[in-house]
Amino acid sequence: MPEGFHDVAWLARTRAEGDVAAWLERLPYARYIGVTASPDSGGDGLVFRLEPHEHNIGNILLPALHGGVVAAFMETAGTLDLMLSAREPRLPRIVDFSIDYLRTARVVPTYARCQLLREGRRLANVQVSAWQEAEDQPVATARLHLVLGSPEPDDA
Amino acid sequence: MKSSKSSGSGPAAAVRSPDVWRAGLARFVNVIPHTRELGLEVEDVTPPQVRMRLPWRDTLLGDVERGLVHGGVLTMLLDTVCGSAVLCGLPAPEVCPTLDLRVDHYRPALAGQPIMAEARVLRVTGAMVFTEGTLWQDPQRPIARGIGNFVRLGARNTPAGFAEALFGEDDHA
Repeated sequence: MPEGFHDVAWLARTRAEGDVAAWLERLPYARYIGVTASPDSGGDGLVFRLEPHEHNIGNILLPALHGGVVAAFMETAGTLDLMLSAREPRLPRIVDFSIDYLRTARVVPTYARCQLLREGRRLANVQVSAWQEAEDQPVATARLHLVLGSPEPDDA
Repeated sequence: MKSSKSSGSGPAAAVRSPDVWRAGLARFVNVIPHTRELGLEVEDVTPPQVRMRLPWRDTLLGDVERGLVHGGVLTMLLDTVCGSAVLCGLPAPEVCPTLDLRVDHYRPALAGQPIMAEARVLRVTGAMVFTEGTLWQDPQRPIARGIGNFVRLGARNTPAGFAEALFGEDDHA
């Protein structure tokens, strides 16, 4: 099997190296909206970043980022953060996602930080906070439930 | 998805025909840079219900090897279709930002096929618009469901000429 999310050895290696960039390279929509990740300079974990691309705008009057793009960014951040911080290399699948919009997201870089609130045997709960100018003034908070099961699509 | 019968249409629905609404919302998603770039199409508008179609393109992928759509695309699409339903569910179009959105992922969406999106307004109050939306590729197998609540900013905070611009009526109001 070629390298990729379904290659367990590749997943384990990139995870051990903290190579989130290699994961993002294989997520075309995340790349399209401009998601990157870097180690948190002030501590452990990752800080994710969303580029303020013109094609990420959802309201040209304000202007503001598309709320759905901010959601997609936070969903991506939550999933990748879990892949890195889970006890073992596993490919999570989103069960449900909920987002609260707190402030208008201006067309400037947006950042996100995640917290794994619970990692059970099969399910994980991840909280995501996104901000622009100041982390203590989030533009949105979100939470995800993900299944840490087999990577087989359960589509029967 | 078979659309259930629409109810609670407001004055806006009475004034404008479904065709005028379809053209208006098509203009709306075409003005939004993100949905314009993705080529989102408005298929049908029967206030307070909207159906859209997102054509396939490789940008939408989330799992290249298995050919699955990125989950974030589905969230974005539900936000867009629910937000569009809001416009035709009100007495007159108002600017209504999303307050919150909840998405249940029933099954993955498959690469190579368009994604259909339908949403409707369930309830309008003085402060809020409550909506729900569904996505599918095969009508028998929904991909995701969303519940979106939108805040009414009111006529006072809606730019003058918002409705006229939406319907392209600026010349002959």
